[in-house]
Amino acid sequence: MTALTLWLTDPNPSSRRQARLGQAWLAWLRLRRNPLAMLGLFIIAALCLLAAAAPVFAPQDPFAQNLAERLLPPGTPGHWLGTDDFGRDIWSRIVHGARITLSIVALVAVTAPVIGLLIGTVAGYFGGWVDTVLMRITDIFLAFPRLILALALVAVLGPGVQNAVLAIALTAWPPYARVARAETLTVRNSDYIAAVRLQGAGAGRIIWGHVVPMCLPSVIIRVTLDMAGVILIAAGLGFLGLGVQPPLPEWGLMISSGRKFLFEQWWVATMPGLAIFTVSLGFNLLGDGLRDVLDPRSASR
Amino acid sequence: MSDLIEIEDLSVTFRAHGRTVRAVQSVSLRVPAQASFGLVGESGSGKSTILRAICGLAPVSGGAIRIGGQPLRSPRDKAFAARVQMVFQDPYASLHPRHTIDHTLSEPLAIHGIGETDARVVRALTDVGLPTSFRFRYPHQLSGGQRQRVAIARALMLEPEILLLDEPTSALDASVQAEVLNLLNRLRTERGLTFLMVSHDLAVIDHMCDRVLVMQNGRAVEELARDDLAQARMKTAYAQSLFAASADRMLDPAGKETR
Amino acid sequence: MSLLQIENLRVTFATETGPVEAVRGVSFSLGRERLGIVGESGSGKTITGRSVLRLIRPPGRIEADRMTFDGIDLLKVSEKQMRALRGPRLAMVMQDPKYSLNPVMRIGAQLTEGLLRRDRISRAEARQRAIAALEAVQIRDPERVMEAWPHELSGGMGQRVMIAMMLIPEPDLLIADEPTSALDVTVQAEVLSILDDLVKSRGMGLIFISHDLRLVARFCDRVLVMYRGRIVEELAAHDLMAAKHPYTQGLLNCLPRIGGPRAPLPGLDRTGDWAHV
Repeated sequence: MTALTLWLTDPNPSSRRQARLGQAWLAWLRLRRNPLAMLGLFIIAALCLLAAAAPVFAPQDPFAQNLAERLLPPGTPGHWLGTDDFGRDIWSRIVHGARITLSIVALVAVTAPVIGLLIGTVAGYFGGWVDTVLMRITDIFLAFPRLILALALVAVLGPGVQNAVLAIALTAWPPYARVARAETLTVRNSDYIAAVRLQGAGAGRIIWGHVVPMCLPSVIIRVTLDMAGVILIAAGLGFLGLGVQPPLPEWGLMISSGRKFLFEQWWVATMPGLAIFTVSLGFNLLGDGLRDVLDPRSASR
Repeated sequence: MSDLIEIEDLSVTFRAHGRTVRAVQSVSLRVPAQASFGLVGESGSGKSTILRAICGLAPVSGGAIRIGGQPLRSPRDKAFAARVQMVFQDPYASLHPRHTIDHTLSEPLAIHGIGETDARVVRALTDVGLPTSFRFRYPHQLSGGQRQRVAIARALMLEPEILLLDEPTSALDASVQAEVLNLLNRLRTERGLTFLMVSHDLAVIDHMCDRVLVMQNGRAVEELARDDLAQARMKTAYAQSLFAASADRMLDPAGKETR
Repeated sequence: MSLLQIENLRVTFATETGPVEAVRGVSFSLGRERLGIVGESGSGKTITGRSVLRLIRPPGRIEADRMTFDGIDLLKVSEKQMRALRGPRLAMVMQDPKYSLNPVMRIGAQLTEGLLRRDRISRAEARQRAIAALEAVQIRDPERVMEAWPHELSGGMGQRVMIAMMLIPEPDLLIADEPTSALDVTVQAEVLSILDDLVKSRGMGLIFISHDLRLVARFCDRVLVMYRGRIVEELAAHDLMAAKHPYTQGLLNCLPRIGGPRAPLPGLDRTGDWAHV
């Protein structure tokens, strides 16, 4: 054992930071015992690496057209995943597309859960008419199919990456609100909330300091499991021409442009499809693993 | 001198799904300052509900509660928090599972804008007999007895006059129960606290309290002084049956028999 | 012949911080009698009870030199045979009826389920036996309880229903894990007398697990005192007050008594050599 792990596993931490890091270390040890979750984590780490160092991993300019080399099959020297109808290298485009996908995922992940968490905990904590109003609004959003609502929003706001993110975030929060509210209802009547109320704490302090930390694990799990869906919706918007605009190498857009050649040049649509599949799988595997680690019901003992 | 806690004709009624449950029905009691008063009864007798009503955690439908002669404000304000605190039954449920002990103990100070957090937290831990190295542990790293000590330390952070104790030892092992009861008694003498304690265990109540109110089905059955309890001088049949069912609590352990 | 024989039982749990031994070499035998196991939380008494039914989930592991029930080697039998033993021959009553009864099934359905499935008897006969079992545990209107949902029962009723459910197949051995600690004192006495009756009239073996020394002393024939996964003392229940072991004595002394002195209660001194075995 190194000095660091000793410090992390110290049963008597000497600061809040050490205590928190020690808990994170234990969670990591638990996660590490789950090979599938580790596979998911590896896929997502690889995606981040690809996106961060895209110019290194992409042999060619994703926008460079070369009509002489259009629609080359996979395995062609210099284009191991083949080329599309403009002669652009598909591998390079997928690598650069990872940046777009990842930025959409990241932006949605920091907006939608926060909105949902806030609405859910406030509704659950106060109950009564606050709960009724907030949850009926949530129901209205839930009543629309997500893609249709996102489509409608993009149609109003106009196509583009930012608007796609906004549309996805605005359609993605209701499930988080539901999860957070359900969690809040179980926490609300617990003794530790009664104790802090007895100390004279206001609603803001209780919700932010005591209720939200209890809802966070289930929301984080939900976020990772939802990321696959977010990627698919972003791809769907791209596919319909309402998200990212050409010639940007967004994966959904790439599938859309490969549609015309699906039977003769299958790889044009299949390769970005495989990328979406792999990343979605990665997020799902990680989410499942996180559920075992973070779920308060399993971690409490 | 008027009594510190005065409860007159208190009724608590819960309404849920069209049914009304009268958990407490016109119960009156008075606790002088620095006394220790016990509430006994079986589950559903309304004894814990009285404590919760004092704290504003249960709906009062009738009667009055006065602390130091003053009627309580609803919702309870910070001044109330500084005078009255509560220790809950289940130490596994009364500490926030994701907060360190330090966080739990410093929270009341932060709410009331009291400074010298470090010194006060360390002193609170020492007062309840916990090593200061426990300060940054999480509740799941502590045993039940240690958690209950933390809960007691939290209740004392604001230096209240009144401690409401809701079965503080019923979830603990016998040896740990003894330690916690001793701790509570020591703190009471040192700080001149007033206890209002709920328990189903007559022996615990007898050990801790000067006066006892026996409750059944939300009503007060009989109020007894400690001597009357020990001598089994109760007048009502219910109090007698409760006493009889606790008869093994009178067994003298081996070491004391030859005395 | 003894019903249950256990020699050198060990239960180990693998955790992130290394293996933890919850039971460390427990040996005892049980005839058709009432055996009490007492100890504080974490002493391994519940785990001992559960390992007899092999109800320890991974990462827990059961090891023993010998664990036989009525001549059957419990360590060797397959999980399928074990399932056939649990219920008809070995039964367990848990501490809290709230978590042991299925909340979305009526009491009657839960009581007759085993009979209908395993013994393949008619619905009417199963119902009759269930009602008889409820009567045996002193439930006054069994017809109504049969139709009730678990949440409609009080704690004492729920615990009695649990006992009735375990007793329908007439097991040879019942393991009761703190069957009365969630109950009020007056109800507790009733449940105990029901168990007592059943041991006497059916010749059943009973392992009664509890943290309450005085209760066990009053109720059982023989008592095992456990501390940190080991048996520290074994004695006849009526000798409990003359216990030799400092741990047992400490447990007895630290309880408050009605009419006892107000002096601080003697704590359990854990500094002796015995505490560090």
